[in-house]
Amino acid sequence: MISGPERTVRAFGILVGLLLLTACGAREVVVKGNFPKPLMDPLPITLGVVYSDAFAQHEIFDEAAGRAETDWLVKTGDAQVEFWTTLLGGMFEEVVRISDHDSLHAHESEIDAVIIPYVADLQYTIPLHTNVKVYEIWMKYRFRLVPLEAVHDHENGDLTIDSTEQLAEWTLSAYGKTPTAFLQSDEEAVNLAAVVALRDAGANFATSFTRVPGVAAWMAGDNKASENAAESFEGE
Amino acid sequence: MSDRLHSRKASRGYDGADCSARGVLWLLCVALTLVLQGCVNATVDEMTFLEPTEGIGDASVVIMGRRHAPDYETEFDFIECIGDHIRRGDASITVLHELEFINMMYPWFEPRTAPLRTDDIDKLLTQQRVADRFAELKLEYMIWIDGSTVETNSSGSMTCGVGPGGAGCFGFGTWGNASDYEATIWDFTDEIEVGRISANTSGQSYMPAVVVPIPIIAPVQGTACDSLGDQLLKYLSAKI
Repeated sequence: MISGPERTVRAFGILVGLLLLTACGAREVVVKGNFPKPLMDPLPITLGVVYSDAFAQHEIFDEAAGRAETDWLVKTGDAQVEFWTTLLGGMFEEVVRISDHDSLHAHESEIDAVIIPYVADLQYTIPLHTNVKVYEIWMKYRFRLVPLEAVHDHENGDLTIDSTEQLAEWTLSAYGKTPTAFLQSDEEAVNLAAVVALRDAGANFATSFTRVPGVAAWMAGDNKASENAAESFEGE
Repeated sequence: MSDRLHSRKASRGYDGADCSARGVLWLLCVALTLVLQGCVNATVDEMTFLEPTEGIGDASVVIMGRRHAPDYETEFDFIECIGDHIRRGDASITVLHELEFINMMYPWFEPRTAPLRTDDIDKLLTQQRVADRFAELKLEYMIWIDGSTVETNSSGSMTCGVGPGGAGCFGFGTWGNASDYEATIWDFTDEIEVGRISANTSGQSYMPAVVVPIPIIAPVQGTACDSLGDQLLKYLSAKI
């Protein structure tokens, strides 16, 4: 039987142990933010979008370089999907998310092209790394625009993209920074920098999409999109 | 009856003493704040034209910070401070909230896409939805604030300790701050620049500590906000 003071000492020991373990654990940031719908005249295109598992569950794990540092885990997957769904939804007349056999075949006749975003690279810095009072996130995306015929579904439900049938492929970079602020934790600042970077990626994508050579050529060529779409692109 | 009267009088007497004590305390606080404020030097330059002599009526103004430079960005709270200053000075002026405006105009006012010259406004207005939103907001003036507040120097040291008998600090610290901001006023209807106002302020703050640290803060950024806010208010308001 444990007496009262003994129990208190044991509880205190457990508490100290837990605190020590917390200090050693990785610092985790699940990126969250409110993303506005873009204010644009939507392009008259029905676009399919495929978010791969790697994209939808994207995270970066950075192992501590020394004893003074801690591991960092930055999860951007949910925010990526939420952000790009909002952005593409405002940029194009209709956007269809293709995630399986059913969604692939349900809109077969309507989809003009399919876009697949990838996070090619993500880097971050915090004041501890640079001695500069700024938190920064840098992201590099790769986009592929393919015809619907290039998307194949398999019996196990997986979708694959035929790389030989491609309309355009391009990369895009985005940057977000936030200065240190009073009573702001490292996690909050990294989250804010990631949200700024996502917004920057969206601004870059929205203003450069029609200037991507492959996209412009596709728009100018014979495709399912109406002639109005091509005129709209030329007008910008 | 007389008891009740007495009690009412007593109560009134107590209220009076409470009030005067509060007044003294308030005066003491104000005096202490004034004494404990560091000195700030401010220089304001102004060059404006086409002033709206009748005021801006029911049109609106938006004040935004420039954030495209890699090494600094204009602080959101500084922009908010100027907006509040103008609203306080003339409640009839509609100053749009910066973040709300940026969100409702996304992606056209992000650091990458924000117009840098008045010539860029035309390009923005080719997007019908953007033009409609501007018309809906009745936006007449767009004011860009570019600059930041930085710490220029710091020295001194302070040691703090906690013991069973209490806690305390001993030492002395000092640091300097400098603000450098420029406001550029765009007439959104005529798509021209109608003024530039700059404010440079600097000041030294001190923190002596004998048991309790006493901060003597120079309100450098606050002075820059008041200086720019005053000039912008003078430009936009028909009352001043």
